Amino acid sequence: MPDTLEQTNLAEQVRQQLSMVIDPEMGRSVVEMGLIYLIEVTAGGDAHILMTTTTKGCPASAFLREAIQACAASVHGVKEVDVELTYNPPWNPSMMMTP
Amino acid sequence: MPGATLSRWTMSYFAAALICLIAGLAMTASGFGYPSVPMNDPASLVVVHLIAIGWLAQLFAGSLLQFVPVIASRQLRSPHLALPILLSAMAGLLLLLTGFMGLADVAPLWTWMLPAGGILLTCSFTSLCWTVVGTLLPARPYTLPAKFVILGCLPLIGAALVGLLFTLPLSGLTGDPYLIDLVLAAGPSHAYLGLVGWMTITAIGVSYRLLAMFLLSPEKTRRTSRTVGWLMAGALAVVICGIVLDGTGSPAGWPLPAAIAAAGLAVLLYALDIRWIYRERKRKAVELNVIASLVAVGMLVACFVLFAASILIGNLAGMVMPVAYLFVFGWLTGLGLGQLYKIVAFMTWLEFYGPVLGRMAVPRVQELVNERRGAIWFSLYFGATAAATVALILDMPDMFRWITIAQLAAVGALVFEFVQTRRLAMAPAATRLPAGIAARRLFLPSFNGRSS
Repeated sequence: MPDTLEQTNLAEQVRQQLSMVIDPEMGRSVVEMGLIYLIEVTAGGDAHILMTTTTKGCPASAFLREAIQACAASVHGVKEVDVELTYNPPWNPSMMMTP
Repeated sequence: MPGATLSRWTMSYFAAALICLIAGLAMTASGFGYPSVPMNDPASLVVVHLIAIGWLAQLFAGSLLQFVPVIASRQLRSPHLALPILLSAMAGLLLLLTGFMGLADVAPLWTWMLPAGGILLTCSFTSLCWTVVGTLLPARPYTLPAKFVILGCLPLIGAALVGLLFTLPLSGLTGDPYLIDLVLAAGPSHAYLGLVGWMTITAIGVSYRLLAMFLLSPEKTRRTSRTVGWLMAGALAVVICGIVLDGTGSPAGWPLPAAIAAAGLAVLLYALDIRWIYRERKRKAVELNVIASLVAVGMLVACFVLFAASILIGNLAGMVMPVAYLFVFGWLTGLGLGQLYKIVAFMTWLEFYGPVLGRMAVPRVQELVNERRGAIWFSLYFGATAAATVALILDMPDMFRWITIAQLAAVGALVFEFVQTRRLAMAPAATRLPAGIAARRLFLPSFNGRSS
């Protein structure tokens, strides 16, 4: 069972793994785009990811959600992955990391 | 989860629409219809309806089926109607065109053809409105694009019903004097309802969302945007009054020019909105689809400037057709082709790369197109459209036909680009999918994955 430090490390590994998932329009990862609001890993190794999309109702949202779920689940040590889509707060361009 | 899906039949709508556009341009280039014969000649009506219903209406219908769920953030209502709407529109159009050809003495004339075509088209457009409005109405609070799209459905039904009424005296089924008066007087209002009332109001509304989205510009409901909506709604009310007056045998000359003037003012405010969206963008690199849309908006503004100038110089009658031509091919078709350039790539990406996202290297949407080549075709298209408008103003029909060939070549080249995009021909080598996957789904739907 991971301790707090391991939980933080796992969350960071998940974040790095999510760099593989790109926003199809901008070509930048969902992390760089600021689409990942929160990554939490429980003591049991279950991950909870809070994400958004650049626009509400985006037709790519289901694909992005599944890709994020699959990517996070591929991290060694992560058991269950729960991805929650939110539009509160709505995404805006200032949330992007500067390249 | 709030969200939208891939519209299963939208690519088929686009394919049908592009075939009609190419057929319409080829007919014009060959000397069939206007300007080789007068605008009210049945041969001209064939070309006009091929472009208006076959090309533009199917382009708009296919796009709405894809983007209304995005605007409403909810699933499309009655998605199973998508194919019947397309098939009834195509069957209705075929009957209508055959009926016009009968009137032009190039095909046998059966009296039932025009009304039967009108009924099918009315059913198709009514079903489309049912789907669109049924998706948007429960999605409160209404966004600005949603309000424009809902408003646009009213004139669409109006244009279809007026067109259906026209078919009765045109086919000889009735000699009712009121209907004959309606046909003689309300043709331009019928065109206004379809081209300005439905298509322009819808295009303006959707572009507020799409341009802000593509340019990463803040989505704001500006006072000018709301005024655009009110002016367009007022203009519609005036046009409908004019049609009622035409039908009661007391036609008035003022409603249509008054409506066009109000719409012109709305267009100027819309152009200001677009300028703000462009200036406030966070995405500095502007893609070809946005540039094409901006050129189309410029041509829309030019239409109303030419209209105003023709009134000032007292040559309104001589300028009506060049302005209408610029409106249809510069504004609506230019915007449509520009947006198709993006939508085809975006939907292709979703269809083929969405399911493997995060599992393998995938391209950006923009890597599915060749912008350098596309820019050449768009330059040729817009240049030819501007030149064709000038040829019409200068009353040079032969020159116009030659220029139409250039326009046809540009559209043909763009269709080739769309096919290349669908076949993933431009995708970087590292992101290529196994050969044959894309080739099988050029314009028919995938029956796997998320489509509605």
